[in-house]
Amino acid sequence: MKKGNKYGIHRVIEPKGVLPQPANKIDNNMDEIYDNEILIDVQTLNIDSASFTQIEHQAGGDKAKIAEIMLDIVAKQGKHRNPVTGSGGMLLGTVEKIGDALIGKTDLKVGDKIATLVSLSLTPLRIDKIKDIRPDIDQVDIDGKAILFESGIYAKIPDDMPANLALSALDVAGAPAQTAKLVKPGDTVLIIGAGGKSGMLCCYEAKKRAGVTGKVIGLCHSEKSTKRLMELGFCDYVFSADATQPVPVLEKIEEITNGQMCDVTINNVNITDTEMTSILSTKDTGVVYFFSMATSFTKAALGAEGVGSDVTMIVGNGYTRGHAEITLQLLRESDKLRKVFTELYA
Amino acid sequence: MNKGCRYGTHRVLAPAGTLPQPAQKLDNTMSIYDNEVLIDVQTLNIDSASYTQIKHACGSNAEMMKKMILDIVEERGKMQNPVTGSGGMLIGTVKEIGPNFPKGKIKVGDKIATLVSLSLTPLKIKEIKKLTADSDQVDVEAQAILFESGLYAILPNDIPEKLALAALDVAGAPAQVDRLVTEGDIVCIIGGGGKSGVLCCYQAMKNVGPSGKVIVVEYSKDNAQRIIDMNLATDVIVADATNVMDVYSKVMAITGGRGCDVTVNNVNVPSTEMTSILITKGQGCVYFFSMATSFTKAALGAEGVGKDINLIVGNGYAKGHADLTLNIIRESQQIRELFEKLYV
Repeated sequence: MKKGNKYGIHRVIEPKGVLPQPANKIDNNMDEIYDNEILIDVQTLNIDSASFTQIEHQAGGDKAKIAEIMLDIVAKQGKHRNPVTGSGGMLLGTVEKIGDALIGKTDLKVGDKIATLVSLSLTPLRIDKIKDIRPDIDQVDIDGKAILFESGIYAKIPDDMPANLALSALDVAGAPAQTAKLVKPGDTVLIIGAGGKSGMLCCYEAKKRAGVTGKVIGLCHSEKSTKRLMELGFCDYVFSADATQPVPVLEKIEEITNGQMCDVTINNVNITDTEMTSILSTKDTGVVYFFSMATSFTKAALGAEGVGSDVTMIVGNGYTRGHAEITLQLLRESDKLRKVFTELYA
Repeated sequence: MNKGCRYGTHRVLAPAGTLPQPAQKLDNTMSIYDNEVLIDVQTLNIDSASYTQIKHACGSNAEMMKKMILDIVEERGKMQNPVTGSGGMLIGTVKEIGPNFPKGKIKVGDKIATLVSLSLTPLKIKEIKKLTADSDQVDVEAQAILFESGLYAILPNDIPEKLALAALDVAGAPAQVDRLVTEGDIVCIIGGGGKSGVLCCYQAMKNVGPSGKVIVVEYSKDNAQRIIDMNLATDVIVADATNVMDVYSKVMAITGGRGCDVTVNNVNVPSTEMTSILITKGQGCVYFFSMATSFTKAALGAEGVGKDINLIVGNGYAKGHADLTLNIIRESQQIRELFEKLYV
């Protein structure tokens, strides 16, 4: 077996010297694997929702056309990175072969069912046949193979829950796991975008960590998600507001916290211009965790300086050690979460 | 006296509900609210991107540049360049302090530099006394308002004003290094040869002590040589920070494959996020000071390579940052001389 690079650089065809994610074309030959790769027999692709929406739109909703576009992307790039949105997704499959150099170093064995937690935008993929497309949940069943690099992260699909339910939660696994690391007993925590998929997981985890002496505040936008979050009962306070308006939100948080503001603010909302709201709602010794991909680096950096806030601002990292286990555990612990996730996403 | 908001929202005229920085127009009436400070302004230090734009628009004609600055302030109530969006800093003397401004820190007559941007500072210019096309320091007769949340530094007696200003401009960087770096750490400073880079190197060397390492990645050979000459790093790599694998292999060679505990990114070019992430060890931390950082490249990049590291957005403010930075100028004769040569 040939020796591979930890980050998969050996598969990059062009341009030279870049990592697999920014590469335009990677080698998806699966006849022979490198010594530090894992070959996966793929069952389902869970296309990133921005990517799937774009493809569906381009195809005018026609399934045959969707299949054609997807096959074309993989034929050109050797991976499923949407050329318009740049995003990928995840996949579900079975371990078929493990490289020599990984034997004894990985907890995986041939036959294990896994979900890859690295993006499809950097995963070598070959599609032999598209079997079924389920547009309402962005999932596509295929016959095909994929490669997981040595640095690639994955989760074993547990036996005690349906694969689809596990996938929907693993998709946002980074958020509740980082919440678990950040929130300490007694903290006041604000979750912005609390009614969405990752928001609900964060609220549950935050309350668990903050305990009875802590306070969890959920900020939602729509009436529906506000009501849903109230009924779940994870938060001490739930309110509805436009997160792009810093002043009204600031006043509301001052009122709820008696002017103390929050120790930790977690921003999960995928719209622009919510940086100042996050900064002002947080104590100046506190932490803002930006999970929103719509965050502007400069707005956050200059915004904090402009109001003289000594807050620590962290770029949301979708990966933290143990994130898959932490997140799946939440669905086991909370019947309410499991029920709402099954209804909405599985 | 009227009661003001901590962040100065009471001065926003349009659009309603925003903060002073994104606002189109501020109320620049120079009678203070209860939590404000009135400053007699001596010099405006216009942000260099803004000044360059004004200079080009006016063909370097000083009279036209004066008029353009006066027009901006007349229209917006603050010196925020409508094209670049940026501001700058000012130097002036404290004229009046509202009774509810945090007490005990400044008194009437103190000479201060504001460390918040001019893009959010209410300003009224009576006269521009001196303006030359090649210096972005403009002497004025003017008044300005500092909000309760506004940052400032009292100018010291033992450091010339312009030298102090040059250092204060990047005060956040060494102060954050002081917080992050502990004894024995391996630290990498990408873009270590620039103004903030030099201050970061000095602070990092001090904090890591004899058992740690400070590695500088620098594009320019001259800057790299300067770092070596000034003994501001244990190892210096001359490389293009956007070339991920080149920097990665060089840093791994120096660290014996371990990578760095703390990486500080000071380089103002795009696409250096992956380099910063890969050279940092698991559980380590990357501090992005570069304004060219892309949030999504950093976030997705770390996940893509399965790296459990803290990625921090550089905050230009840290408590005590002005004092710490001015102290570096006092402590290090070499840095003082360098700054005097390059920036004063």
